[in-house]
Amino acid sequence: MVTFILNGREVKAEEGTTILQVAEANNIYIPTLCNHKALEPAGLCRLCTVELFDGRRKRFVTSCNYPVWTGMEVNTDSEEVIRHRKMLIELLLARCPNNDYVNQLAEQFEVDAPRFKLDDDDCILCGLCVRVCERIGANAIDFSGRGTEMEVATPFETLAEACVACGACDFICPTGHIKLSEITDKEIRPILSEYNAGLTGRKPVYVPYAQAVPNIPAIDRSKCAHFLTGGCKICADFCPTGAIDHSQVDEEVEIEVGAIVLATGFRPFDPTQYDDYGYAKHPNVVTSVEFERILSSSGPWHGHLVRPSDEKEPKKIAWLQCVGSRDINHCDNGYCSGVCCMYAVKEAMIAKEHAKDGLDTAIFYMDMRTFGKEFEQYYNRAQEDGVRFVRSRIHSVDPVPATDNLVLGYVNEEGEAVSEEFDMVVLSVGMEAPPGVIELA
Amino acid sequence: MSRLENQKALEGCRKKLQKQRDPKRPVISLCAGSGCGAYGTDEVKDALEKEISQNGLKGKVEVKVTGCHGFCEKGPIMVIHPEGTFYSQVKAEDVPEIVDETFVKKELVERLLYKDPVSKQRVAKEADVPFYSHQYRLIFGNNGLIDPTNIDDYIAMDGYSALAAALFNMSPEEIIDTIKKSGLRGRGGGGFPTGVKWDSCRKAHEEPKYVMCNADEGDPGAYMDRSLLEGNPHSVLEGMIIGAYAIGSNEGFIYVRNEYPLAVKNIDIAIKQAEDYGLLGKNILGSGFDFKIKISRGGGAFVCGESSALMRSLAGKVGRPRAKYIHTVEKGYRDLPSTLNNVETWANVPLIINKGADFYSSIGTEKSKGTKIFSLVGKVKNTGLVEVPMGTSLRTIIYDIGGGILKNKKFKAVQTGGPSGGCVPEQLLDLPVDFEKLTQAGAMMGSGGMIVMDQDNCMVDVARYFLEFLQEESCGQCVPCREGITRLFEILTNICAGEGKDGDIELLEELANTVHNLSLCALGGTAANPVLTTLLYFKDEYLDHIYDKKCRAGVCKGLFYYEIDEEKCNGCHVCFRKCPQEAVSGEKKEPHTIDQEKCIHCTICYESCKFDAIVIK
Repeated sequence: MVTFILNGREVKAEEGTTILQVAEANNIYIPTLCNHKALEPAGLCRLCTVELFDGRRKRFVTSCNYPVWTGMEVNTDSEEVIRHRKMLIELLLARCPNNDYVNQLAEQFEVDAPRFKLDDDDCILCGLCVRVCERIGANAIDFSGRGTEMEVATPFETLAEACVACGACDFICPTGHIKLSEITDKEIRPILSEYNAGLTGRKPVYVPYAQAVPNIPAIDRSKCAHFLTGGCKICADFCPTGAIDHSQVDEEVEIEVGAIVLATGFRPFDPTQYDDYGYAKHPNVVTSVEFERILSSSGPWHGHLVRPSDEKEPKKIAWLQCVGSRDINHCDNGYCSGVCCMYAVKEAMIAKEHAKDGLDTAIFYMDMRTFGKEFEQYYNRAQEDGVRFVRSRIHSVDPVPATDNLVLGYVNEEGEAVSEEFDMVVLSVGMEAPPGVIELA
Repeated sequence: MSRLENQKALEGCRKKLQKQRDPKRPVISLCAGSGCGAYGTDEVKDALEKEISQNGLKGKVEVKVTGCHGFCEKGPIMVIHPEGTFYSQVKAEDVPEIVDETFVKKELVERLLYKDPVSKQRVAKEADVPFYSHQYRLIFGNNGLIDPTNIDDYIAMDGYSALAAALFNMSPEEIIDTIKKSGLRGRGGGGFPTGVKWDSCRKAHEEPKYVMCNADEGDPGAYMDRSLLEGNPHSVLEGMIIGAYAIGSNEGFIYVRNEYPLAVKNIDIAIKQAEDYGLLGKNILGSGFDFKIKISRGGGAFVCGESSALMRSLAGKVGRPRAKYIHTVEKGYRDLPSTLNNVETWANVPLIINKGADFYSSIGTEKSKGTKIFSLVGKVKNTGLVEVPMGTSLRTIIYDIGGGILKNKKFKAVQTGGPSGGCVPEQLLDLPVDFEKLTQAGAMMGSGGMIVMDQDNCMVDVARYFLEFLQEESCGQCVPCREGITRLFEILTNICAGEGKDGDIELLEELANTVHNLSLCALGGTAANPVLTTLLYFKDEYLDHIYDKKCRAGVCKGLFYYEIDEEKCNGCHVCFRKCPQEAVSGEKKEPHTIDQEKCIHCTICYESCKFDAIVIK
């Protein structure tokens, strides 16, 4: 145990901790720029400088990496410390006068216009990106050059082969200087959440779905940086209980059984092959499964009905039935999937309930198939509640220029060609046997 | 010569070597240090060898090509032993006369003897030349006596006797104790007590431990480490081996800049010879102690002279310093205990072991012991390497040894401690030079650079010059150093260009204060010294530049002009002839005038006027 004076008060701390850690534990704020809990302190920005009296003389040390010792006296915000910090911010502001982050800092530290000639940079060379890349184990970027020539760069200033496109540098950069496209030409892809049907991303360490059994996180080895590079393991540093073990491997367990029942399940039809419906092109054309997640309170918008492109509340939604069912033109599925009519009615009803005021819902169908007891009554009630049912096959879904809306082209029962604009289109996708089942069969 | 298996063999070898050497046999010691080498030592050497063999003196007269003698101003230098006859500025054409007079007629070549600028008398012996007679050359003195490529020369002069004494008569603790008692402090500039450093490293828990020699001498104008490595490499090696034994290390490095080819070559030869003799490598002198030394050649970044940057560079990484809250004696090279000392510090070690801590601590001041080698350059008559006891006054160094200011102009300041040192003004000329006194004056010891400046140096420009150097050499990691030095330089550049404004001085002071206090390593920590000391001692010049737009030293273009003093000008016509702009007009023997429209302030007329008739306005 170490005992020392922190801002005039005696504090105790573990040996080997830094002034910054002790200050945080004692609710004393010390500003930092280049410090990050996932990284070894580097002491480059010098903003966390504090005043230290060692019994003989006063000096200035960086709190992020200065280990505490018994008998020292630390002052985290003396007049001189504050003056030095302001000068640092003034220097950074002169370097990056047009950067929002640096301007926010200047405001926080009450620094006015710099007294130096203004440059126009957006990198403060805090080194967070370089250090996180090293930690990730990729080492794709580093500081290059010396002194005023120093910059963050890839080897030979070409696209870095070593980059694993994890995006950690972009994530950690406080000023927005890092552009992944200048570092790698690898595709920058978010990891899509399977649970939210790809509407949101997820982390490589994740709980697969709400109330999962067992309800603990798992590591996706195909995405985790550690399994790509051998580095990182930041999660293990952060886990307070030390529960993360990267060395765990899959186990094969043999059990003896009397009989096997195959519950094959199914998979939703992939509507990208319906070119005319533009599922792959237009964010506001969604599948019924995606719409289900939008409506769900555990979904991406917590059940608040908004459309993906701009997260605005839609005023008009259309459902297109028999996408991937009863269709031998776009696919080979001549069968009726048997559930789509009823879920479309249900989604329209619930969407109306979730919408604040007057949502227009229209279901475009060939014929409504209400398999099951009292399903027909539900269909009737939907009609009474104002869900429009239009018997027509939609031939095209086109974007409306300058909006994110979509216009549907169809021929109504009277034989007239109609085009109608909607905020959102839901494709009622059918069901297919998954490829594995076909193989098994 | 075969491997020396034990202490007795070393002593036997030494006796044999000393016996072979007739003290009465004439030896011509010819300086081949970098300065003299540039003046043409090679030609002199060739001529000497030719002349000697033609005169049938082969075998009777030995020619010894040595390292730097120190008096670089007068190179090439030749000293003829045993008399100690000192010839300076020797050319190949002079050689026949020298050989003829010295060895045939037994006379002196009067015209090649050093002429004392004060008494106008010729001085025959090296020891009587004022440049040398005011020095105390404990470390550097042997440079002129030994051939650095021949270990026998070093052994014959008691070389490696300290190593034998340390290995066989002293415990590691006793060695550390002796170094501590001697008061030896790091000669690289930090001035940290060497014994304390060794002790901490010995006591550090981790193994293996490393010993390093910092030969990354980067200060402009400083070359004492270079000259020691070039001229007496074994003294450095011996110091390192003793240090390694005391600390408990079996591996060492010499980090030397690649721009010092002769130093690299000579130290390489020295290591091989020491290995052949069993003085380096496995089982040194049969003591059971193993130690090997590798040479690592630096790329020339100034910041790599900083200990943690040097160790990173040594490990193959980019040389950038780290915070040293955990000292390198505990976590240095590859995060293992490491002792890094400067070339000169290592060279002091054998002396201390041989002569004892009491002898060593009797030299110098209260807190700075021993001697220090300075590289005396700039506007001084005798430039060169100067070794004096700590506490010698600047006046002695500059006037008695250095011979005063060139052309007898007025002394203005001396910059000590390299680029991030400070400028010490005339009123502090009697300052005894040691670690504390220089720091108190706002300057520093640094590695021992001394740049003398006269009335023609503009102190704002001097500060600007050093800041420009430091701006280029800052590693760029930390904000105060990278951004701060750049801005200091920017403001100084503006002031020198006549664009200084009200508030600049205050801003310089404020910023310099932050750079000094907040920088990560000593480069930034001391970078503000040139600004702060010039502001402290030469504020008038700043005020002249900013408010009167005047540079009275005549350096900052646009802030001065030349005029001819009609009373002093005798119309000698020199300036008229030399002016490239044809800006000078006037009849011979009549006072001339300068056409200000044409003048580009190139300084040619000012430099060439022997009558001080050209004045700066």
